[in-house]
Amino acid sequence: MRRYILRRLGFALVSLFLLSVTIFFFVRVTGDPAVLLTEPGASQADLDAIRQQFGLDQPLWVQYGSFLAHLLRGDFGQSFYYRTDVLELYLSRLPASLLLAAVAMAFSLVIGLPTGIVAAVRVNGWWDSAGKIFALLGLSMPSFWVGLLMILFFSVYLGWLPSSGSGTPLHVLMPAFALGWYFAAAHMRLTRSSMLEVLGSEYVKLARLKGLPEALVIAKHAFKNALIPVLTLAGINLVLMVNVAVVVETVFAWPGVGRLLYEGIAFRDFPVVQATVLLGGVMIVTVNLVVDVLYAMIDPRIRYE
Amino acid sequence: MSRSTMPGLGALSLIINDAYSALRRSRWIGVLLLWGGLECLAPHPADAAPEGTMTWGLHVTLASRWLDPAETEALITPFMVLYAIHDAVAKPMPAGPITPSLAESWSVSKDGLTYEFVLRKTARFHNGDPVTADDVKFSFDRYKGAAAKLLKDKVREVQIVDAGRVRFHLKEPWPDFMTFYGTSASGAAWIVPRKYIEKVGDDGFKKAPVGAGPYKVVSFTPGVELVMEAFDGYWRKTPNVKRLVFRSMPEEATRATALKKGEVDIVYLLSGPIAEDTRRTPNLKLVPSKPPGVFWLEFPDQWDPKSPWHDRRVRLAASLAIDREAVNQAETLGFSRPTGSIIPRIFEYALPFDPPPYDPKRARELLAEAGHPNGFDAGDFYPFPPYTSMGEALAGYLQAVGIRTRIQTMERATFLTAWREKKLKGLVVGITGAAGNAATRLEAYVTRGGIYSYGVIPEVEDLFQRQAREPDRARREALLHQIQKILHERVLHAPIYELAFLWGVGPRVEESGADLIRSHAYSAPYEDLRLKKP
Amino acid sequence: MTGSRAAGLTLAWRFAAFRSEGFPLLPTLILLTLALVAIFANAIAPYNPEVGVLGERFRPPAWQAGGSAEHVLGTDHLGRDVLSRLIFGARVSMVVGFTAVIVAGLLGTVLGILSGYLGGWVDQVIMRITDTWLALPALTFAIFLAAIVGPSEMNIVIILAAVYWTRYARVIRGEVLSLKERDFVRLAIVAGCAKRTIMRRHILPNVLNSAIVLATLMLGVVIVTEASLSFLGVGVPPPKPAWGLMLADGKKGLMAGYWWLTVLPGCCIVLMVLAANLLGDWLRVKLDPQLRQL
Repeated sequence: MRRYILRRLGFALVSLFLLSVTIFFFVRVTGDPAVLLTEPGASQADLDAIRQQFGLDQPLWVQYGSFLAHLLRGDFGQSFYYRTDVLELYLSRLPASLLLAAVAMAFSLVIGLPTGIVAAVRVNGWWDSAGKIFALLGLSMPSFWVGLLMILFFSVYLGWLPSSGSGTPLHVLMPAFALGWYFAAAHMRLTRSSMLEVLGSEYVKLARLKGLPEALVIAKHAFKNALIPVLTLAGINLVLMVNVAVVVETVFAWPGVGRLLYEGIAFRDFPVVQATVLLGGVMIVTVNLVVDVLYAMIDPRIRYE
Repeated sequence: MSRSTMPGLGALSLIINDAYSALRRSRWIGVLLLWGGLECLAPHPADAAPEGTMTWGLHVTLASRWLDPAETEALITPFMVLYAIHDAVAKPMPAGPITPSLAESWSVSKDGLTYEFVLRKTARFHNGDPVTADDVKFSFDRYKGAAAKLLKDKVREVQIVDAGRVRFHLKEPWPDFMTFYGTSASGAAWIVPRKYIEKVGDDGFKKAPVGAGPYKVVSFTPGVELVMEAFDGYWRKTPNVKRLVFRSMPEEATRATALKKGEVDIVYLLSGPIAEDTRRTPNLKLVPSKPPGVFWLEFPDQWDPKSPWHDRRVRLAASLAIDREAVNQAETLGFSRPTGSIIPRIFEYALPFDPPPYDPKRARELLAEAGHPNGFDAGDFYPFPPYTSMGEALAGYLQAVGIRTRIQTMERATFLTAWREKKLKGLVVGITGAAGNAATRLEAYVTRGGIYSYGVIPEVEDLFQRQAREPDRARREALLHQIQKILHERVLHAPIYELAFLWGVGPRVEESGADLIRSHAYSAPYEDLRLKKP
Repeated sequence: MTGSRAAGLTLAWRFAAFRSEGFPLLPTLILLTLALVAIFANAIAPYNPEVGVLGERFRPPAWQAGGSAEHVLGTDHLGRDVLSRLIFGARVSMVVGFTAVIVAGLLGTVLGILSGYLGGWVDQVIMRITDTWLALPALTFAIFLAAIVGPSEMNIVIILAAVYWTRYARVIRGEVLSLKERDFVRLAIVAGCAKRTIMRRHILPNVLNSAIVLATLMLGVVIVTEASLSFLGVGVPPPKPAWGLMLADGKKGLMAGYWWLTVLPGCCIVLMVLAANLLGDWLRVKLDPQLRQL
């Protein structure tokens, strides 16, 4: 077991190292930050000064070396655009992102779990189709569109919710729903398939044979067991939500890390992009690692994979 | 120089100038400006305590570097924040493009080598420290933003005469010194408190900036929100509005909705249908500000003798094919100003030309004369990001007379880099809002040293070199006008319009500060803004 | 992790397949219609989708006040006919969507088979790359690529394929791992078949089902991603009439009441993606692959 964990840990570190190399060189291929920090008519001298200030005039491998050296000391550098410490910037945005993701996840499960269960046990054909289509609809609509339509309806037309920004609990509702809806279909599908798996299992059959009412079988025996893989996926998706919320964050002017990253790319703010992607990568890799290890503990066959 | 841009006021300044200079040592003669002083004489509106909150929905992402004048890049955006928190020795104000602010006056020595600034005794930083000559020198030395190298190459020494006076010694006469020092071409004249910065360091300063401007920073969340409060010790006047809040709202529809709902009072950068909706909404106002930005069509292939664009008739045809007013209506609801020059009208030394008429028939004739009766394939067309729909409209007009193009949209950074590296062929839509004068604009686009010049007309280059050495203002202007005439006659570009930057203004605002300072794109001066009395 | 965990599911799937209702007629019809529209766009569309008259911009659909039969579904911000753009948009969206899904599917399937069957260092390399890929969220990665290669229809396909091939690779690898243990593969190995032959003859046909189901489900993801890229300004370049681009362009008109600019292309996207997903869900049950996390 310990060997397995160590091996997975090694893999995770390799991925992160590859990620750091990839992101470092990728971001530098995208272009020159100096042209974005000046008006188009700015002079060559002004541009050179900016490049020099950021050390962009040095050879790439020197830049990478110093990046790694700083990284190992936990220093992600200074943002080109903001001119402040990148880690601080990231951490100041993270709470908003986590809040958004958590509420979005709640929405997603509220939609995904019941529809998934209904799809599996097929209580009623009509309800099943309606639920399925509602969950799939979230997957079918670009979230910026959902967001704009919601702003138009709930904010402008009905006037119930603030249109954008953050601060009060009401602010989080619309962006979270727009984000959560997109993930609902995935949770529905997994709920459905793991419900089916459990419903086909011996002990549910046994419960049925014992003559327990079907509703109780589903609610108590099947659902509880089917929930495990769904919650696992939810954990992975929670981390993903933090990292893919860029579109929703833009529409609702939500101050999360997604927008930080997107603007980092748009401004060619290399340190911000590197830090956001790497820290996001660490989150994703860690969650995957934990999930894999937990599964390996439950199901020893996996270790020999 | 400043005198001439303010005709009518010039004479007045001379009279005061004479009276004032008599008080000064005879060595210091020359131009002296007293606008700041004059404003002090003007009756103040009853100084009530500041009240209320004004909130902005910004199109840009608030950067920490804008809190520190030393980091001012060649970009107008930082001045949005600088005008609130900081103050400059001289800066563009409603009174004129180079208005004494922290300095109450300055004078130039006869040989043009020394500028002496007399600082205002009433000027204070937010922490109560007076603004001294020492701070001016410190701020200049510390400055590393736009034109920093240029300024530091030209300035030999900054000398502290006494606490209230500071002298800039130049290496050689430089008529554009104040154009760079006293306008938004650089941030070198914006003064930061030396003692405070030495205590807290550069990073500490960005976290808790202290300036000499009308507003103090209350809180700042980078990229999200900046909250400021009126500084009652501001020398010019106590601001009317108690609190200013800047919020970043990158999505245009979101900004407009927030305005409609009354969540913000002013939003920047509206266009097309959203601007139209704002204009139609009762209570909301659509206000244009006029930064020095001009759109034009650039013909990078014209220097290649084999290209159809080499023929002046073809370029003229392209220019005549465009209905500038229709594009203006569609994009900026008619608030922009069609033009025939790539130099903004309000720039010093600018020679304005009327926009070419919309004449597709003549355009087709010209194309036929040039040997393209059925039009021709002009290759790629690069709209300036993010003004894609405007580019699409232009390409549509060209298509209508037979100039067929393929639109290539690029991301802003990629586009700008490719343009600078002269990799863009076909047609390019250009725009710039860089501060400066006609000479600085021309330099970038039509001279040998110009970073965006694809080719150079020798005559233009010669004239440009001559004007750069010309100390006499009138003769310099004549030379620069001659360049602009040549550009116009040869149709080097097809200018489109001077861009109007549209704001939406909500019902609570009485004075939004739009266009109080000529060619400044944002609300300013903040101390003059007013909310309606409830 | 997918394949091994799902290994015990076969029975459940059979159960589901048995209980699944009939063929999803409506979604199939929708997809077929869209395909026909895309193929015959030239013949159906009343106007050139890329050329408009600025003076005729924002005309509402025919049934609304101010609309006319000339432009049945109105015009956009540049005076272009919305109906024509939707029709040609079907072509762009279908071509982009299908090509991206197929390219990603080919790449992912081949690498997944190699990785799963050959194991060893090949497996290590491919899996470490997919891990790295997964640590980079799809949209981020797409924005990156768009910034590097610049937008064009072709590049959008490349970007989408480059982003999404890992999903296939992981799933297919899992399938291959369990196939390897099956008798017919073992038999082939014992019989001395070449690795290439085994992979082609025995492995590939057996993972095809999964690849097809995955492709159907990915079609929706790809099209929505394409729209999001347009929203962020790095999607299919104008004036091409892609639905995602129309949606992104039209969002400005939403507040001013020009609903047809966003609602119509939005509905087209929803129809297509929903149809693809419904079909995919049905296929998933019918063809019985062991896909869980999609």
